Amino acid sequence: MDLSKYAALFLAESREHLSSCNQLLLRWEREPSATDAVGGLFRSIHTIKGMGATMGFTGVAELAHRLESLLDALRQGQVAADARTFQLLFRAVDALGVAVEAAGAGRDPAPEASLAAALDDATAGRGADAPAGGLPVLPGDDVPRRRATDRPRGRSVEVIIRSDAVMRGARAVLAVRRAEALGVVSAVRPPLLRLEREEFDGRLAFRIDSRATDEELAAVIRSAGEVVTVRFPEPLAAPAEPADRHRQIRVDLGRLDRLMKQVGELVAARNRLGVLAARFDDPTLAEQSDRISRLVSEMQAEVIAARMTPVGEVFERFPRLVRDLARDLGKRIRFEVEGEEIELDRSILDEIGDPLLHLVRNAADHGIEMPETRVHAGKPAEGRILLSATRERNSVALRVSDDGAGIDRAAIVAKTRRDAPGEPTPDALSDDLLLRLIARPGFSTAQAVSGVSGRGVGVDVAMTRVRALGGTLEIGSEAGKGTTFTIRVPLTLAIVRALLADAGGERYAVPLAYVAETVEFDARAVTALRSREAVVVREQVIPTVHLRDLVACRERPAPMRRPTVILEIGERRTALVVDALLGQQDIVVAPFDAPRGMPPYVGGATILADGAPALVLDAAALL
Amino acid sequence: MPDSPTLHAVIFRIGALVCAAPAGIVREILPRLPATRIPGVAEAIEGLVNVRGSLLTVLDGHVLLQQARREEDEGAIVVVDVAGRRYGLGVGGVIDFLEVPAASVAAQADLPGIDPRLVKAVGVHEGRHFILLDIDALVAPIIGS
Repeated sequence: MDLSKYAALFLAESREHLSSCNQLLLRWEREPSATDAVGGLFRSIHTIKGMGATMGFTGVAELAHRLESLLDALRQGQVAADARTFQLLFRAVDALGVAVEAAGAGRDPAPEASLAAALDDATAGRGADAPAGGLPVLPGDDVPRRRATDRPRGRSVEVIIRSDAVMRGARAVLAVRRAEALGVVSAVRPPLLRLEREEFDGRLAFRIDSRATDEELAAVIRSAGEVVTVRFPEPLAAPAEPADRHRQIRVDLGRLDRLMKQVGELVAARNRLGVLAARFDDPTLAEQSDRISRLVSEMQAEVIAARMTPVGEVFERFPRLVRDLARDLGKRIRFEVEGEEIELDRSILDEIGDPLLHLVRNAADHGIEMPETRVHAGKPAEGRILLSATRERNSVALRVSDDGAGIDRAAIVAKTRRDAPGEPTPDALSDDLLLRLIARPGFSTAQAVSGVSGRGVGVDVAMTRVRALGGTLEIGSEAGKGTTFTIRVPLTLAIVRALLADAGGERYAVPLAYVAETVEFDARAVTALRSREAVVVREQVIPTVHLRDLVACRERPAPMRRPTVILEIGERRTALVVDALLGQQDIVVAPFDAPRGMPPYVGGATILADGAPALVLDAAALL
Repeated sequence: MPDSPTLHAVIFRIGALVCAAPAGIVREILPRLPATRIPGVAEAIEGLVNVRGSLLTVLDGHVLLQQARREEDEGAIVVVDVAGRRYGLGVGGVIDFLEVPAASVAAQADLPGIDPRLVKAVGVHEGRHFILLDIDALVAPIIGS
């Protein structure tokens, strides 16, 4: 049988298992009592071994077999899971990753002798009754995929209550009670009676047997208030349904890209057809045009849904990274993730990893202090980095927060004045100005360039990449308390819902993702904010931008009534005053060679339903 | 006698000038299309036009060569490749496709009112003078970096 055609599948599935191995190892290292982690590790390594052997990759199979033997010894308690063992397991998983990639590329090297020996030595610590040689088979686990029946009844749930919450224990009890409304709760740790004691650190774990989805459970638990994290350490389908009931196939991403491009063209053609059909008074034509429009919309939604991927796919690479960074830097860092289930278009997800990488590395290197410094400052020795995703209207916010030292604004000011003595730099930096300064290419106040960061490229690269995706980057930093970077990106790049606005007879598209509301411009509500014109909308003072002034439109006089589009990114708002609103449209942002001097508020261009090009405004630049 | 090299060029009118662009960089000739203005950019950029579902940035040849538009010209867009990118050059009208011996064009000459850097050569064809434009030099200062 020609197995070469299965190589891509072997590679893809092995990568998934290896990623899972890293997650499980990290959890096991953090919680040595989490014995289910070793079972999961064993299954993944066992699967890789089986696939490797089937494909004839003896190097992969041999290394996996040695690793599996050590895991078996650990599972049976014959070898202690100490720091050295964990380091060896991480090293072996890394080596297995290298072996898998090599096998996928047509090579199949034998395992490195020193690693093979180290694994054998570690395994040799087991008792005489351990299986000697041969390929051990996990009892009752011939099918590599994990099933709901493989684990104890119900799902594991981990909850973290905000560290500064008052009555943390009461919140925890409330969270358990709320969860009980959706299922049977058991194995509460610490026990309920101990929750209200002072030493309760806000971390709670229990099992729940429930038909509710993870999202429903998380929502109910969060409703107890002050809950910062809800995790389900064994992400499986609902208990009543085996995970493999939903039939799935793997689809080449290039095929989905082509499909998306074609749907984009179909949407543009649908829009054009709608305009043409409206010119004729023909009910049959109008009916067919409506039908095509509906079908195209449905197809567009399906194709976009097929491309949506949980951000957890990108997040999962960071726990291991932070663990290794912390070891290298001599720091203690707890890394937490939230919102892994939030979905983004695959094309955005592929691009967002790099900016997040820079921000996470910066947080570990520059944000979190050394343990002794933290203790001296009255903080726990262990620092915390939280990577979270939240859905906001038509965009997703990704945050990298640390509870470290915060950015030294005085050092930034001093550095800026040294680098550019001619430029006026205020003593007190706003968050916006702070970001602009640290996002300058090559900007770094690090004492020395380290292997981790400090070359001054992190924020610069993150900012450039995020802007290229039509997203925004924001910063919030407080001395002594920490720093939060927020990346906001649209859900999908290919087709954008936009509001069409008129300024002096010219049409501009404003992506709806950043439109909070539209209101009528009221001259009586005009005021000033830091010597700029602003309007008061529902008691909030919002700076204005007049689109016809911005685009220097001199054609027609401004109308008396002017709609105002309130743009919003995070906490920032701007009122964009336009001549008229012309409705909404799905637009496909089309590439073109931008001429020199194109203003930053032009984010791209599109072809409207009537065939005319229109510019797409970049809300971030207007804010 | 060996064949002398031949110049292939598209001849078009911009205001009072008869100009030419090497045929090798001309991709197509389009009728004048309504352009969407791009605010904030050089005046010589007419805007964006829709060419069969793709966007094309069009430069205004009259502004580039400081020529007054003639009322009787219908207008056309000469689509050219410059440095791997495609641009439209708005002209008064396309006159002809020219094939002449390369020897019949003289190297750059000073012409009144025209920046000599924009002129590659000057030629005569059937008694008509034309300016072979240096399209790269013409568009380089205003196109994206």
